[in-house]
Amino acid sequence: MNRAALLWRVASFAVAAGFVALWQLIASLKLVSPVFLPGPDRAWAALVRGFSSGDLWSKLAGTLEHMAYGWLAASIAGIAIGAIIGSSRRMRTYVAPSLEFLRPLPVSAIIPVAIAMLGLTQAMALFVIAFGAIWPIMLATIHGFAAVEPRLYEVARSLQMSRLAVIFKIALPSASPDILAGMRLSLTVALILSVVCEILAGLDGLGHWVLLSARAFRSADLFAGVILLGLTGYVTSVAMSLAEHRLLAWQAARR
Amino acid sequence: MRANSAKALVLPLAVLVAFEVWARATHLQSDSLAPPSEIVMALFGAFADLSILTATRDTLFSAFAGLAIGTTIGLAFGIAFGISDTLDRLMEVTVEAIRPIPSIALLPIALIALGFGYRMEIVIVAFACVWPVLILSRAAVRSIEPRLMEVARALRLPSAQRVWKIIIPAALPRIFVAFRLSAGIALIVAVTVEIAINPLGLGAGIMLAQQALRPDLMLAYLVWIGVIGYALNVLLVVAQNRLFGRAALSGDGA
Amino acid sequence: MASAAKRLEAVYGTATPQIAFDGVTLVLGGKTIIENLSLGVRPGEFLCIVGASGCGKTTALRLAAGLYQPTSGKVNFDGQPMREPRREIAIVFQDYGKALLPWRTAAGNVSLALEAGGMPSAERPARIEELLRTVGLPGHAGKYPSEMSGGMQQRLQIARCLAQEPKTLLMDEPFGALDAMTRQGLQDEVLSLVAASGATVIFVTHDLDEAIYLGDRVIGLLPHPGRIGIELSVNLPRPRDQLSTREHPEFLRLRRQLFDFIKATEQ
Repeated sequence: MNRAALLWRVASFAVAAGFVALWQLIASLKLVSPVFLPGPDRAWAALVRGFSSGDLWSKLAGTLEHMAYGWLAASIAGIAIGAIIGSSRRMRTYVAPSLEFLRPLPVSAIIPVAIAMLGLTQAMALFVIAFGAIWPIMLATIHGFAAVEPRLYEVARSLQMSRLAVIFKIALPSASPDILAGMRLSLTVALILSVVCEILAGLDGLGHWVLLSARAFRSADLFAGVILLGLTGYVTSVAMSLAEHRLLAWQAARR
Repeated sequence: MRANSAKALVLPLAVLVAFEVWARATHLQSDSLAPPSEIVMALFGAFADLSILTATRDTLFSAFAGLAIGTTIGLAFGIAFGISDTLDRLMEVTVEAIRPIPSIALLPIALIALGFGYRMEIVIVAFACVWPVLILSRAAVRSIEPRLMEVARALRLPSAQRVWKIIIPAALPRIFVAFRLSAGIALIVAVTVEIAINPLGLGAGIMLAQQALRPDLMLAYLVWIGVIGYALNVLLVVAQNRLFGRAALSGDGA
Repeated sequence: MASAAKRLEAVYGTATPQIAFDGVTLVLGGKTIIENLSLGVRPGEFLCIVGASGCGKTTALRLAAGLYQPTSGKVNFDGQPMREPRREIAIVFQDYGKALLPWRTAAGNVSLALEAGGMPSAERPARIEELLRTVGLPGHAGKYPSEMSGGMQQRLQIARCLAQEPKTLLMDEPFGALDAMTRQGLQDEVLSLVAASGATVIFVTHDLDEAIYLGDRVIGLLPHPGRIGIELSVNLPRPRDQLSTREHPEFLRLRRQLFDFIKATEQ
């Protein structure tokens, strides 16, 4: 990072700090009732208290676990199914339109169905998260596989490559930018659905934590939970960006 | 084309028929599944007693109100950040700190501050809609042909007029794409809030049907929610093509 | 058809041609692209195919590659019918930008052919380096195709084809998208590479000078449907030279003959 960019960054942090100070001021002057709005000091204290007692750790771990399992299951299944549909023209004509029809469906509407089938359980949460997260990945994979440069398939044919080699050496890498973009979208979906399922089913996690805090009007704990959820969203998205950057270095060279 | 759309119907029809036959053959007794014929009957029933229409009105009202507020806020900030590089850089950390908060995490805050009802739902929908509009309109303003901005400067247009007469019209196709994305998000968030906690609209309707052990009604709601999501999407895509033709498509990749 | 076979025999004696088209017709989407094409290419020959656009010259090449199957007639390779593409036949596509894997470096792209040929991974690096040197790309092993110029990308594609150790090299307007200087340099390099490897070449181009400069024989196709319109033997001394060959009276005579033919087909 050069000097100018660094200075901008510092200034930008200063502005953010200014907003936090403003928040502190509003809370200290009790412009908004402390029942609804704790100051950053109380939210910070709640974070420290939550982590030192271990409560927040276990809630954070719970949410991360739900998110990770659901998202990983969705990624594996989404890429596999997407590859099968995307690499066959016949599958695309018969199956893809149905998927396009289902795509705008608000996935959370599947929650009651999942509850009816599986009850208020961990399995229900995993099913819902995976079901919600699979769509962006699967549709992106279908698109990526359908968009592989036909010339590359001819190269593969003239090299007499096996079907498996064609998938792993040609189609998957070629579709990888699409697939990773889909996985990034799914990450957000997985986090939101984790929170919703925790709220509904009372599963151990930050969703449940913020709901209980709200019910007991413990606003500092509530804000601590929301801040942690924001951090979770931020950190996972940064990690995903790093992974994309790593895996798609060849695309950066292209620009 | 026609042959292809016929082929597109093969799979859903086959699934429906197979399911119907299977449900009848096994005299299905279930809390979670119902044959398609009963789902259709339940849907008709819900239309007849107007319950599903009321719920649709409530959900769409919250979704659109939130969408309107969120779009306005997102657009204002997006255009401001797009015009002023200084402002954009100064706000970067603040924006990046708030944006990743999943909208649904605000639910408990909105709940204690505003209680159950439309208001808390609208606030959460608005929060979710701000970000896509902000980011895409910022990008749209930045990509405006510099010549146009020079023209504005040469004409000595005051900045308010510059925004109204040059920037918004030039960026409009891509802003509409952002609006379309946000509209989908608005519906999803509204339904999600209702399912999670808020006792109104389609989301509450489907939860009630589940708790009343009425799988036919529950699935009827599911189908109806799907139809609304699909219809909204089609409507906005058609509107986009009508209004902007191919010009808008270039923004789709963003 | 019998006459075709007889003609082949007259030209080549009884030796089997490496690639033989025997009364090949290809119909695609209800349109006859190639009609009753008979043609033999002997081992080590450099055959150039020219013709107006839409005359089916690229299609003929794809038939030779096994990427298309003839509607009727036969394409044989070493006396065996071609049912699918094979590793002994390498294709250099015109659109090098599409035929290279953008996510693999230059070395990785060459490696693809070695992997397909089942070479153990320990032996690959040395061979890759050798091939990149052969095509004039030493020191570019770590570059992605997108970081290379058009001429370099085409060299890379040629390197990958050489990695197949092909008996036959099929080249589809390989230099069509390159500027004149790059093109001449690559023409000479292809000639020396081919001379060194002894591969048979079918080279499709719309550039008449290029065809005469490179080939042992030039075939001109007539369009709609594609069929042979003219066949010229090029008896110019090798190695060829960009200046003296192009000024050779025989070169000028062939060029005139070919030019008149193309002009006639366009009317």
